[in-house]
Amino acid sequence: MPGDMTCRQSPLSDSPAAGQGEPLQILVAHDSRVVRAYLQSHLEKAGYGVVQAGSPDEALSLLTSSIRIVILDLGLPEMNGMTCLRHIRERHPDLPVIMISTSLETAHAVQAMKYGAFDYVTKPFDPEKILALIREASRTDLVTGKQQQAGGTPETVYENETVMASRIRRALLPGGVPRELNGLKAGCLNIPSVLIDGDFYDLLAVNETCTDLIMGDVMGKGIPAVVLGASARQHFARALYHHTRSSDHSSLPRPEQIVASVHRDMIGSLTELEMFFTLCYARIDTEKNLLSYVDCGHMRTIHFHHDTSTCTLLQGVNMPLGFPGQDHFNEVLVPFAPGDLFFFYSDGLTEARGPKGQFFGEERLERFIRNNGHLEPQGLCDAALREVAEFSRSESFSDDFTCLAIRIVSPETMEEQAPQWVLDIPADLNHLDRVRDFTREVCMGFGPEVVDEERIKMIQIVATEIVSNIVTHAYRGMSGGNILIEARPTREELIWYFYDRGIEYDFSSAPPPVFDGSSETGFGLHIIAHTADYVRYSRDSTGRNCACVTFFLHRGSPE
Amino acid sequence: MTLTGKIQGSTLIVTALPEFLDAGNAAAFRAEMSRLLGDHGQVIVDMSPVHFIDSAGCGALIAALRHIKASGGTLTVFGAHKQVRRVFELMRMHRIINLFETRQQALDSLRL
Repeated sequence: MPGDMTCRQSPLSDSPAAGQGEPLQILVAHDSRVVRAYLQSHLEKAGYGVVQAGSPDEALSLLTSSIRIVILDLGLPEMNGMTCLRHIRERHPDLPVIMISTSLETAHAVQAMKYGAFDYVTKPFDPEKILALIREASRTDLVTGKQQQAGGTPETVYENETVMASRIRRALLPGGVPRELNGLKAGCLNIPSVLIDGDFYDLLAVNETCTDLIMGDVMGKGIPAVVLGASARQHFARALYHHTRSSDHSSLPRPEQIVASVHRDMIGSLTELEMFFTLCYARIDTEKNLLSYVDCGHMRTIHFHHDTSTCTLLQGVNMPLGFPGQDHFNEVLVPFAPGDLFFFYSDGLTEARGPKGQFFGEERLERFIRNNGHLEPQGLCDAALREVAEFSRSESFSDDFTCLAIRIVSPETMEEQAPQWVLDIPADLNHLDRVRDFTREVCMGFGPEVVDEERIKMIQIVATEIVSNIVTHAYRGMSGGNILIEARPTREELIWYFYDRGIEYDFSSAPPPVFDGSSETGFGLHIIAHTADYVRYSRDSTGRNCACVTFFLHRGSPE
Repeated sequence: MTLTGKIQGSTLIVTALPEFLDAGNAAAFRAEMSRLLGDHGQVIVDMSPVHFIDSAGCGALIAALRHIKASGGTLTVFGAHKQVRRVFELMRMHRIINLFETRQQALDSLRL
């Protein structure tokens, strides 16, 4: 946006902040002239010099050695603020960057901190808070993380630390995981980075049908990160042991309870150390065919569906551990089928760089898993390493490369899972009564004590809404298409598959419903999402759309 | 579908709704409703024959509500079965339509 570029050097002023001599120069990069002027007036009043940039390119071109601190907007146009932050860190590793953003998303804050932002402030920002951060940043040396005037020679300390960290890491963290456990097959790979990260993981059998998996990534490198990672791993093992012993045998402690308990134990020291870690704590229950997980700002786990050869990404909603003010963690439940595979990993995979500096990325990883999800878990991990190494043309990584693949195996239940109920109808709204009759017939098979009349009606409405959506959106009301409905009941759940060959329709892009009476449409997805226990939309390689809806038969588990 | 409209005082009472009000017949319902409504201000709909409603069915009721509101009137509904009430709740219909259990309660509400 060339028209909006302004660059102006502030006049030298009598500067209380900088003490004697020239004022400390701060670069303010924001696309809004108003915001820049607002920050400039506050900073100048406090005695700082301000250089303004209206775009990322301009910001990078203005980074001279006289700039001591950068205030950077995450939402800058063209190149976004996060990319700009990475460029700044590459060229000026010791320059503190304070990110400002309207985004309240945890992922953004975590990512910014990971890319080396000094701190992260959300709008509406308090000038006092920014000034306090500037004062702190101006006293801190980013390479050592220590306050200046601490003395010493950073290079030698740093090299010794790296060797030491590597040794501690080998001593404290596990080399691998069992290849077979509780009807699961596991594969694992962990290649420590040159600088030694704090990745940690564990796989623990809780009882004959439940297996807990822990994967975490401590923000930071060297000895502190390694020790904290190992300590966190111990805390989880201890919390699981403690809670399992103190609860009666029939009810295991929930993953969210275990995470909350570890968080309570560790928050004091994490706050003191000013460290935090991302985490995924998952329980794989092969009796209920259910994965329950608590994700705290970790990379999104990939769920490979054996039946459709498609993937879904398991999103988390919690902040990383070490962020204060959390006493409750949200747990998410995901049903799976035998043959499915879960791929857990650290950012070392997705953030491996290609020769031109581009990331391997989540999308590329998901595509890789989709194409290779049928490999044996260990083979898959090895193939992932080859893929990433080939991409980055390197076998050494700047972050730890950690991945864990878990396959659900139980061939005898595969038989049980074959579709028992099938309905094939023309894609036409006049056939909705057949959808209702079919749904009722399947539900009646369970008896009223498992699926009562009220539940049948709610399952019927979900089926009706899905078929209506397919007719209206996938086939756009055109005749000639058909819809195949399969019902696959198991002991624990009732899974419905709705297949069509209409156009690909992105249900996630549908606008949210308006409830004030001004709109007559757009409620179907809302009803589906709030009535079924689990919904997944996918499209397979043959161009077939699939909506998969699950109802848990025994309530109590989903909530 | 043949809806029936009965005029009682200044109120139009719509009865004989179909057992299933869904995407398959919502358009027909909407057309018949708009013929019946005319410029009646106070309208009561007897939902008791309806055993199943989906979002398209609710959409048709919202269309009727907008028509009635345009002429400054009110839409009152009674006799909704459990499934219908559940869908009304999911669609927050209870916030924009007056809901009553019985015909008498619906009529009484309009006399006040």
